[in-house]
Amino acid sequence: MSRQLKFNIFRYNPQDPASVPHADTFLLEETPSLTLFIALNKLREEQDPSLMFDFACRMAICGSCGMVINGRPGLACRTLTSDLPAEITLMPLPVFKLVGDLSVDTGTWFRATNSKIESWIHTDQEFDPGAAEERMENALAESIFELERCIECGCCVASCGTANMREDFVGAFALNRMARFIMDPRDKRKDADYFEVVGTDQGIFGCMGLLACEDVCPRSIPLQDQLGLLRRKMGFIALKSIFKRKG
Amino acid sequence: MASIDTAIYVKPPSRASAYLDWLQMLTGAGLIAFMWSHMVLVASVNLGVNVMNTIAHFFEATYMAQVGGPLIGATMLFHFILAARKIPFTTGEQGSIWRHAKMLHHQDTWMWVVQAVTAMIILIMGSVHLWTVLTDLPITAAKSAARIQGGFWMLFYLILLPMVELHVGIGFYRIGVKWGFVKADGRKKFKRSENILTAIMIFIGLVTIIRFATLAI
Repeated sequence: MSRQLKFNIFRYNPQDPASVPHADTFLLEETPSLTLFIALNKLREEQDPSLMFDFACRMAICGSCGMVINGRPGLACRTLTSDLPAEITLMPLPVFKLVGDLSVDTGTWFRATNSKIESWIHTDQEFDPGAAEERMENALAESIFELERCIECGCCVASCGTANMREDFVGAFALNRMARFIMDPRDKRKDADYFEVVGTDQGIFGCMGLLACEDVCPRSIPLQDQLGLLRRKMGFIALKSIFKRKG
Repeated sequence: MASIDTAIYVKPPSRASAYLDWLQMLTGAGLIAFMWSHMVLVASVNLGVNVMNTIAHFFEATYMAQVGGPLIGATMLFHFILAARKIPFTTGEQGSIWRHAKMLHHQDTWMWVVQAVTAMIILIMGSVHLWTVLTDLPITAAKSAARIQGGFWMLFYLILLPMVELHVGIGFYRIGVKWGFVKADGRKKFKRSENILTAIMIFIGLVTIIRFATLAI
């Protein structure tokens, strides 16, 4: 027998002066292989066309459908209702700007953070469109790709205690991104350049090690290990500079 | 050259965050080592009054208590100042982290809340304890027992003991995972061992308090 699901959903439209933040309850019959993504579409089609939420790819690649599911940030498209109790509470991701109901603007935050940490390969090498692509050891390419899998869904940021308290903290996303560039031999930045960007209290030293990012990441990116490596690396860069004479 | 502090307007690159984070970790690690040794040394009373008195005498004859005691107090205060950089003191931040912790149902986040709350209690009660003990040297089993049997101090230590052991145990775990000494695959096991160790320390502490409470003075 299929379950009757009860959804408690955060509702608020900041554009509408008459709108007050509250929770609405919806009931839905559970069907086989029902994901939250399908469930939300059903609710919008059959019960309330004003319900706002984001999605695009429905296969955990676009990162649009991040939301707080029974307290935990996750992707609606890859969450099966059969893995949840019959009562499901959905809230928008905190930290990011609320668009309305379950929809948040992650784009502005990611854009700003990416430019803050200069999230691109810095090189003075001129690009030759005719030349063959430069080769890289397969193992290195794979370890860079492991971190490159991030889809910028914002779950790590929303689950981070520091990011919830302090607006200027760049979050696990940016630190993982930095770890990826440090690994990449094409990026010509030196240790001091990386340090300047993430060797601060807004960067790796602002991280308090609560590890919710590691526990919620829908892509299972090895955030704990990368944050640990980055803290040690940045820590040692600072220590080494004590013994180095200023040039 | 005219002296203008240009850093007011343009912040030069600074390594301060890194140094302070090192110091926070190192003072924390030092205090963890001290607290666990302290527990074992005080618990020596369970082996016999003379065992504890001999150990206490050794630390005073070598001036380790007289010099080390205030140093531990200073380290504790320094560690507090360093760690306070991360602790929310404004009501806005406190509200944020509290709502966040309640929403997330995440053990490590709650453990951090415990760490922050116990820190404040230890700051006050630890200072009181240090002052009381260090202004009344030498340390003897009889004096400690008399204090516990006074009634008020019994309650005082029944509160301070779990506060310290929780803070120290969680801090030990946190250093391990935060600095990457413990990798993701070893985290669960490490956390379990830390919890067991904390429970053992609290148990030893309780046994020691009972021993003092029942010791004939």
